Amino acid sequence: MALSTYEEKFQQFPKELTEALSEAWEAVAKVLTGEEIEAWADSGLTIAQLEGRSWEAAKEYFKASPAMVQAIPFVHLKQWGHWGNTLAEESAAVSMAYFKASPQVAKLLKPWDVPEWAQLGKKLYSRGRRAGVLSTRYFEVTGDILRVLSFSELQHLVVLVESIAERSADEAIAFLSISRDVLPSLREDTRPCLSLVSILVREDWQQATGCLEVVEEALSRVERVERSRYLALAGRVAERGDINIPAFLRESSAALGQIDGFIHIHILNMADTLSRTNAEVVLDYIKGVPQVLRRVSINQLETWFETGVKVLADNAEGGAAFFSGESTRSEEVLERLSMGVELGRVKEVMRLYCRALSALDVEIAPHVKEDSQGKGWVALEKMMAEGATVYLPPVAERFNNKEENFDWYKVVATHQVAHLEFQSFNFSFDTPATQFSDMRNQLVTSVPEAAPADEQDGAPDGTEDEQAIGLADIQRFFAMFVDGMLARDIFTAVEDCRLDHRVKIEYPGIRQAYTNVQRQSLADRPVIEELPAREALVELLIRFSLQQGRELMVPERYSVWAKTLWDIVKPLSRPQALVEDSAEATIRLYKIISQIPNEDVPQEEWEQNDFQDEQSGGDGIDEEQLEQMLKDLMESQQSAEDGEEQPYQSPPQVDYRGDFKPELMQVISMLRESQKERGAKGDTISKEEMERLLAEANQPVSQSEVGDLKRQGIIVTDEIKEAGSKGTPQRTVQQSNYSYDPSFDEEEQGGPLEIKAPDAFLYDEWDYRMSDYRSRWCLLREKDMAEGDSAYFNTTLESYAALASQIRRQFELMMPQGLQKMKRQQDGDELELDAVIEAMVDKRSGTSPSEKVYLRRNKVQRDVAVVFLLDMSASTAEAIDESRRLADEWDAPDDPLEYMFWLRSRRGEGVRRSYKRIVDLEKESLVLLIHALETIGDTYGIYGFSGYGRENVDFFVIKDLQEPLSEKVKRRIDKVSPLQATRMGPAIRHAVVKLDRLDARTKFLILISDGRPQDRGYSREGVEKEYALHDTRISLIEARRKGITPFCLTVDKEGHDYLRAMCQDMGYEVLADIHSLPRRLPALYRRLTV
Amino acid sequence: MTEKQTYTSYKTEEYIIKEEPFYLPVADEVELFEVAYSQQLPILLKGPTGTGKTRFVEYMCYRLGRPLTKITRSTGDGKQPSASGSIPLMTIACHEDLTASDLVGRYLLEGDETKWMDGPLARAVKVGAICYLDEVVEARKDTTVLIHPLTDHRRFLPIDKRGEIIEAHERFLLVLSYNPGYQSALKDLKHSTRQRFMALEFSAPPAELEAKIVEHESGASPEMSLALAKLGEKTRNLKDHGLQEGVGTRLLIYAGKLINNGIAPRRACQVAVTWALTDDVQLQRSIDEVVHSIFE
Repeated sequence: MALSTYEEKFQQFPKELTEALSEAWEAVAKVLTGEEIEAWADSGLTIAQLEGRSWEAAKEYFKASPAMVQAIPFVHLKQWGHWGNTLAEESAAVSMAYFKASPQVAKLLKPWDVPEWAQLGKKLYSRGRRAGVLSTRYFEVTGDILRVLSFSELQHLVVLVESIAERSADEAIAFLSISRDVLPSLREDTRPCLSLVSILVREDWQQATGCLEVVEEALSRVERVERSRYLALAGRVAERGDINIPAFLRESSAALGQIDGFIHIHILNMADTLSRTNAEVVLDYIKGVPQVLRRVSINQLETWFETGVKVLADNAEGGAAFFSGESTRSEEVLERLSMGVELGRVKEVMRLYCRALSALDVEIAPHVKEDSQGKGWVALEKMMAEGATVYLPPVAERFNNKEENFDWYKVVATHQVAHLEFQSFNFSFDTPATQFSDMRNQLVTSVPEAAPADEQDGAPDGTEDEQAIGLADIQRFFAMFVDGMLARDIFTAVEDCRLDHRVKIEYPGIRQAYTNVQRQSLADRPVIEELPAREALVELLIRFSLQQGRELMVPERYSVWAKTLWDIVKPLSRPQALVEDSAEATIRLYKIISQIPNEDVPQEEWEQNDFQDEQSGGDGIDEEQLEQMLKDLMESQQSAEDGEEQPYQSPPQVDYRGDFKPELMQVISMLRESQKERGAKGDTISKEEMERLLAEANQPVSQSEVGDLKRQGIIVTDEIKEAGSKGTPQRTVQQSNYSYDPSFDEEEQGGPLEIKAPDAFLYDEWDYRMSDYRSRWCLLREKDMAEGDSAYFNTTLESYAALASQIRRQFELMMPQGLQKMKRQQDGDELELDAVIEAMVDKRSGTSPSEKVYLRRNKVQRDVAVVFLLDMSASTAEAIDESRRLADEWDAPDDPLEYMFWLRSRRGEGVRRSYKRIVDLEKESLVLLIHALETIGDTYGIYGFSGYGRENVDFFVIKDLQEPLSEKVKRRIDKVSPLQATRMGPAIRHAVVKLDRLDARTKFLILISDGRPQDRGYSREGVEKEYALHDTRISLIEARRKGITPFCLTVDKEGHDYLRAMCQDMGYEVLADIHSLPRRLPALYRRLTV
Repeated sequence: MTEKQTYTSYKTEEYIIKEEPFYLPVADEVELFEVAYSQQLPILLKGPTGTGKTRFVEYMCYRLGRPLTKITRSTGDGKQPSASGSIPLMTIACHEDLTASDLVGRYLLEGDETKWMDGPLARAVKVGAICYLDEVVEARKDTTVLIHPLTDHRRFLPIDKRGEIIEAHERFLLVLSYNPGYQSALKDLKHSTRQRFMALEFSAPPAELEAKIVEHESGASPEMSLALAKLGEKTRNLKDHGLQEGVGTRLLIYAGKLINNGIAPRRACQVAVTWALTDDVQLQRSIDEVVHSIFE
């Protein structure tokens, strides 16, 4: 049938319908066959014929058809029309809306879903009053909603709408409208939001619309990645409590908005925990957090939170009051916490302090209480590299003000460093004691007195002694005693006693704080009277060492001995006392204490003794008298019947003193020595081996182990000797050999590489074991950096505005040299007065005057070219320790008004600094530097490098040497991001080639990295580190040969270790504080080039 | 009536150190200097600031000039040895704009005539003084070349403008000081220059010695001086850990003087040591903590 036939059929309807039909006809006819067209037109006719206004629906049907024909196959088109018909049977208006929306929806749905979609609308229509409006609205909005939801989700949404409609059709209509407005803007948070809404519909349908109204604004205040969790939290709160969720969203997000984004995760974690126990307080908690965080750090917040949870567990109302900040308990906790000093904030200060005192590279590590045995291992490698680790507790909060808490840290650090400073670990049999006569050397050769003969098979007689030479002196010393543990405890007590006295003499400024801490430690000591006799006497020594000399309880029968102990310990308080004196004192004390049976003493036998006041006559003790007394004691003990002896137990540690492991330290230093002797840093003793050695050295030796110790000692010696013979020093640098050497074992190692791409370059690599280059070993590809957003450049400058202008000003100060007046020129802009006068003088005096009397201002004086090589290895993605962010909090002003200002400024900074990576700081430094460099006109290039394996070294051009600073360059900087490994050698070589092409008087190569060079396949296993270091070193030397001054800047705290080896006489710097990089880099550049 | 002159002025070549400067030898540097002087070997003094380079030169100048010193070779070959045999000290602080003619001399206009005016170096060469070029790397490159003929077997100073060559007096000696601490690639001595000198290295003296120096110079009590020396030792441990230079003895002496005149020790050290050393807040705090540990 032709169009005209139909036009006749439609005569009865208004003209517009016929027009719509004829307009659609042509387009439809292109797609459909004759029969199909008829079917299509017929269904239009059917619709039109239904009732009064249904022709309007039919009109929309025709209007939508051209688009629909394109979108769905005929089968579905038919169904589509059919559904329109069904809807029109109910309401022409709904059907119209259906047809109107169809073209948009059809694009978003699978063809077979279109009927389903229609059916959903039909379902809504069946819901009572105002169903028509609801259904119409449904069709109106779905087009927009389907942009963000899948069809199944739409179905889910409709279910929600339905259940709302059951209660209120108006509400359902409002809900649908708001869904359209809000959902598309939520993007990836749409689904979590829907699940929240479905919970609400289930719990309290009236909140659903309200929730959608606020959710968009609320989410904008929450850190992006945390948004779905935040919604899930709201859902849980809705499920468990009777809470107005729109209000919850509004208020909690407002609170979160006041907090730095990177902290949100912690707060939400805690809120999660809380929501599982008591959902009602979650809002109070979140609302309270900004207040709390103004006073304490995030770590302390956790402590506060945990306290609150405990309170909550006991008493729900108390908990609510706690979190809303209404309870005194909460206030107290905060007060205490805010007075505490966290290690993170003072770590750097303490590190430098310890460094100053000890002259060693000291690492500050948090002290972990649970695992005191293992804590030595963490620092193993570091200790080998000459240094020490000072363990400090993560937070000091014993005292009620910051000063005392900080002082406490200082005392702990000073004491631990005192071990190094006053040489606790350098015990030697050869150094004479200053306060005692020499007993050690007599004893060490003789069999320990009281040892039973049968255990002394390997007793140290003359021959054994020779074998024992490999032992550290201190190990031999302890081996002298039958009860090693007792000896160790005594030694620890007296050595600490010596150090404490020494510190107080050497550092009078800290004396007061030290005494405070000692007093506090005294309060924590066990009660003497409850200890068995021998332990009581050891405890007595510790009390002496803590400078308690009075009101000490001693069993009556031992009071004379206690007095003698005091006399023996006393000389150690003199400044001349050495560790050897502690050892001698230990021998004497041991003689006494080991004789005293470790049995309980009846209560009534204890009596109070004062030691301090008694003047013990001369200095030290009378050796003969002591011997005599000892004899007496032994006799008296033998006569006394043996009571029940208890096994001896070591006294608890004095907390500020930490672990004291003299043997461990001496073994380590012996190993270190032997390593040093070897010179070359070739093969090292493997970590496992070392751990074993140290574990053995660390074993407290008990009576039965004396023999074992000897054997271990021998092992230690052998190990050192063996290790010492390994490693061949290879230091010579040979000229590179570019010829292809086919003799390389290509199978195993891979051979030289070939250039396959135009922007690729081949470089040799130095193999220190061969003492030669591996030719054509690394393939480097030069690439342009991808371009990002140039706004990054400007934003960085803005956020560092103060610093940027400061640096720029400093650089401008260099200008006089850059724009130097050139004196005494043949020609120039002006006459130079001095020269003219001189010329006149010359003329008068009869000599011919110089013609060089002009002054010229010239820009060419400064002739510097520099290349910045940026490490883009994956490790630069590491986040910077966030506790450092708060490091300056210590300097908070006391005055409340000032404090507010300070706080505000700090918070402002905090937002900017949230979650920064090392690479971000590298980038920011570059931006600042570029900004400054532009003022002085040096030629500079910026390149990044990374890669994976020798055939994949990527060299990114951020700014080529001759390239002017353009928007392009700025955009490239934005794209600098962490990639793969760090193979420095080829990158340096390539940069050198670039610099070498340039004609400048002074050339620099500045390497900015975050750690040692490392890459896959840097030679064989075990020596990668050395290999990488050597190659990098050689490449730096190559640079220098070409007249380029290399400089390495690293942010790796351990950088001192390898940089010293890598750079040796070349310049390098280790930044202790990564945050100082943006400030430091320009300053460094200035210093280097002026 | 003429006003009474309230100051003392010397002609540069007549400036002779009359009082014995206080100097405590750390090692054999005095002996080395004496031999070098007798053998006319130019000397390069290396070391960070405040380690006593200038004082050492003054001391040696005095010591060598003492009549009794056996080194002084006053063999009368026409040149008049000054009455006492003392040796003048000519110190020239080098700066970036120091030119060759600043050292050698220039013609000046006087009335209608020109008059040649000897520069300090020329004067020192003539009278036989010890010429001390302080911080020589700061000077322009052409000046360092100028001293080359003075520092080898030739021992003369060419004066191009007058077409003259001045032969150095036998007592003349050139001493340079230089601080290798700056890591500036642009400021280093050329090898052709530095290989003309015998080099003495100066570093901070050991604590006991330093304490004595501080005590003598500042008048502080022995205990205080020892504490100051200890502070010096400890802060030097921070070198290369943020500090570019450790504290020099001079600063410790300042601190000692402040303390001696009633300033509280902690405060004195703060202003004379901590703040003088660094602007880095973290470092300042660390140094302050050391100060607080050492001083009450």
